[in-house]
Amino acid sequence: MIDAMGKTEEIIKKAKALGADEVIASTVFGKYRQIRFSNNQIDITVAWNDYATDVILAWKKRVVATQIHNFLESDASLRQLMKLVKVSEENPTFGGFAKGTFRYAKSRADKKIENLENLTDHVSAAIEAAKKEAGSKVESGGILFAKFENVYLASSEGPTGEDTRSAIELSIRAFSEREASGHGVECSSTLRKFEPSRAGAKAGEIAKMAKNPSLGDEGVYDIVFDPLIFGSLLGVWARMASAYSIMTRTSIFVDKLGKNVAPEIVTLKDNPAPYSLSNRVFDDEGVPTRENTFIDHGSFKTYLHNASTAKIFKTKRTGNAGLIVPTPWNPEMEPGDASREELFKEMKRGLYLTNTWYTRFQNSAKGDFSTIPRDGIFLVEKGEIKRSLKDLRISDNALAMLGNIAGVSRERQHVHWWEEADPPSLSPYVLMKNVHITKSK
Amino acid sequence: MERDIIDYALEYAQSKKVEYAEVRGQSQALDRMVLRDGILEAYAKAVDSGFCVRIMANGGIGFASTNKWSKSEARDVVDLALKYAGAANRKDKLFFAKEKAVKTSWTADQKKKIEDVPTEERVATLTEVNRALASCGVKIAAATSQCSINLITKYFVNSEGSRISSVVPKIGAYFFIAVAESGKTEQASEQFGYTGGWEAFDEWKIAEKMVHDAKVLRTVITKAKALKPEKMDLVCGPEVAGIAAHESCGHPMEADRILGREMSQAGRSFIYKGGPYWIGTRIGNDAVTVVDDPTIENSYGYYLYDDEGVKARPRFLYKKGVINEFLHNRESAAKMDTRSNGSSRSENYDREAIVRMANTFVLPGELTDEELIEDVKYGVCMKSFTEWNIDDKRFNQRYVGREAYMIENGELTHPVARPVVETTTQKFWTAVDGVSKKVEFDSATCGKGDPEQGAQVYTGGPWLRLRAVFMR
Repeated sequence: MIDAMGKTEEIIKKAKALGADEVIASTVFGKYRQIRFSNNQIDITVAWNDYATDVILAWKKRVVATQIHNFLESDASLRQLMKLVKVSEENPTFGGFAKGTFRYAKSRADKKIENLENLTDHVSAAIEAAKKEAGSKVESGGILFAKFENVYLASSEGPTGEDTRSAIELSIRAFSEREASGHGVECSSTLRKFEPSRAGAKAGEIAKMAKNPSLGDEGVYDIVFDPLIFGSLLGVWARMASAYSIMTRTSIFVDKLGKNVAPEIVTLKDNPAPYSLSNRVFDDEGVPTRENTFIDHGSFKTYLHNASTAKIFKTKRTGNAGLIVPTPWNPEMEPGDASREELFKEMKRGLYLTNTWYTRFQNSAKGDFSTIPRDGIFLVEKGEIKRSLKDLRISDNALAMLGNIAGVSRERQHVHWWEEADPPSLSPYVLMKNVHITKSK
Repeated sequence: MERDIIDYALEYAQSKKVEYAEVRGQSQALDRMVLRDGILEAYAKAVDSGFCVRIMANGGIGFASTNKWSKSEARDVVDLALKYAGAANRKDKLFFAKEKAVKTSWTADQKKKIEDVPTEERVATLTEVNRALASCGVKIAAATSQCSINLITKYFVNSEGSRISSVVPKIGAYFFIAVAESGKTEQASEQFGYTGGWEAFDEWKIAEKMVHDAKVLRTVITKAKALKPEKMDLVCGPEVAGIAAHESCGHPMEADRILGREMSQAGRSFIYKGGPYWIGTRIGNDAVTVVDDPTIENSYGYYLYDDEGVKARPRFLYKKGVINEFLHNRESAAKMDTRSNGSSRSENYDREAIVRMANTFVLPGELTDEELIEDVKYGVCMKSFTEWNIDDKRFNQRYVGREAYMIENGELTHPVARPVVETTTQKFWTAVDGVSKKVEFDSATCGKGDPEQGAQVYTGGPWLRLRAVFMR
């Protein structure tokens, strides 16, 4: 077994010896396994075994990066990188990498995921659960993905640490008819808490309810969002909380520090906690990750920072350093005090949306965008699901929607799928007022 | 890349009980620059190199990849792929459509070799766009840009005797600007892509394009009027024609999607066996022919052999308004009892090759741009778009105009603020009654697969005239 920590630290020493002012190296040994399935059968099983060391270094405020895939080639790669930095351009806003020595929380990664070789039973469990809900003719497709990473980080500025990150997720979409489908996900950092049949059952349940959809009508609706679709919105708001989004004017939260952006029932955090698919004990600069409340009871409190952006904004770093810019890891919405049923009952006439895709902005600073609900779309009257609808689009504003949140459930689910509900999040059922719905004409 | 390891992996796979085996090595020498407001945030340079093994056994497919180049690692990934192929335990056994073995090598040439362009010049090429923006008289609130240069070397071998080598340089650039005026903002982004050398920048004319966009955004803020929602004619520029061709023709014509293999992520298609639309069904006006062609030299989606070793050729997707030919890889072709048309692409050694578009565009017609417009009494000319999306069966789509003008009695009158067309695939293509002579292309990165694989593509077309569509 290679002494990965020793080799990673050696890269720091070598880069310093070559003249780098500051340098961070992060080595990841990753084992990834995936099954893709459709029409109730496995299409392909995929295995990746990769290792790489990301190196980012600064010299006279010039910042360059590389990836080393073989420790034996590190000398040559670093010499090339130093050559590059000397002809690169100065970044006056570079404030240096995070400094200090830290104690990190103990990683709680699940070794069972590392040794997981037979994944097919989990897929079968989900497919069978969907069939149990929606009948034997239901057609399901999706992915099962498991990862286990050993991470070794060293920085010339002090931080040094090891982390182990495990995650397993299943995403299943079940079709009871050509245009009637439901989507369920099961996300966990440990095998013990992973129950793929829950995702299958949810997908099947929605698919069954979604049968015989009719064309929906345009209008302004109150809407109950399922945790999966609300996870997509949490991802939008969390990315816009990154200081980089503020600097590049791609956020609705520009100039919103200290201002009310939502009702008091809205508290949003970023927290790569041990339960999350995004679990990690330090960020890409070696700063311990932590819970950051960016919207506290409706008031916008902080942007998400790395060391450089914290300096620019004259504040403290938040443990959100990605390799180059700050990034959210795992947005969470604080639970409310309502049950799912109570949220439904608050709607005289509205919609229950379960999933969405293809979210695109006209203007990310203003917040105008549209997204296309998919899978179950339901008309709700007096708290009861009346019928299944199709072919509708949310055409609204991300800031206005945040302000229109009117109810939050106690129940929350850890959700993630593809690029659509990303990053992973902890998401409740949410009642939102006055959402604008359009359709093709 | 160590070819002997790739050959060894195939040899080792063939010593096992497999129905089919392939090994694909890929090395990517990648340069990436990230700039904000003309300042180089970071310059990244790396080589990523590895190989994958895809095995079919017992009617199932196993895929394993590694970036460790050794014979023992090669044996490990073969064993893993074989184990996983067997474990699929499929009722409907998979097989591939027949193909002849190919032994060849191909390259995409560079007129101005990227390696001869010093780092300083590369950075300066990008920062000069910011200088042009700074002096164009429009208040730029933010500008970000990226440039990626990727020299891709591939070596593909399979158990049927194919041996294909290729060297392909790809250059991509992306610019985003936010314009502020009178307390309001508007935004625009442009993507540029090219297969070849540094001459790409001579062709792109980025500074000119971004300055144009900045002035357009200022006009949208200060002069554009809202549209009264009603039915009217719509004249779409090549950028809008291209995105429509990509989203509502290229994607629904992907055979893997039609067969349900992407049902959970990218979705299915409004085209399916036994449904209202199939090969031979009319989907648009006679004037509409949409082609996907990987063989356009220097295009962003250029290739001569796909990642299953099948020779590339143009595919006529919608032909004179009729659904004509799906995009296939060998797996989907076998399921539909046909032949692959070379549409299998993978973005790296650690990703399976799946059905993808290359360069999807509307074929030109016979009218001039002026003739298209002069025959419109009342309508909108939508030259470019901001927001867009389409549902996962690829039927309900929406395009919001960025640069747009009212047309009244054949004349462009005043700018329009963010006009919206939200309609179905069938209505969009049926409404087209006029197509101009000249095709123009835009570059894009198409998302599909899980993990997502961003495929470099062109979208394109001439100007299109649509009659009586609902605009708001």
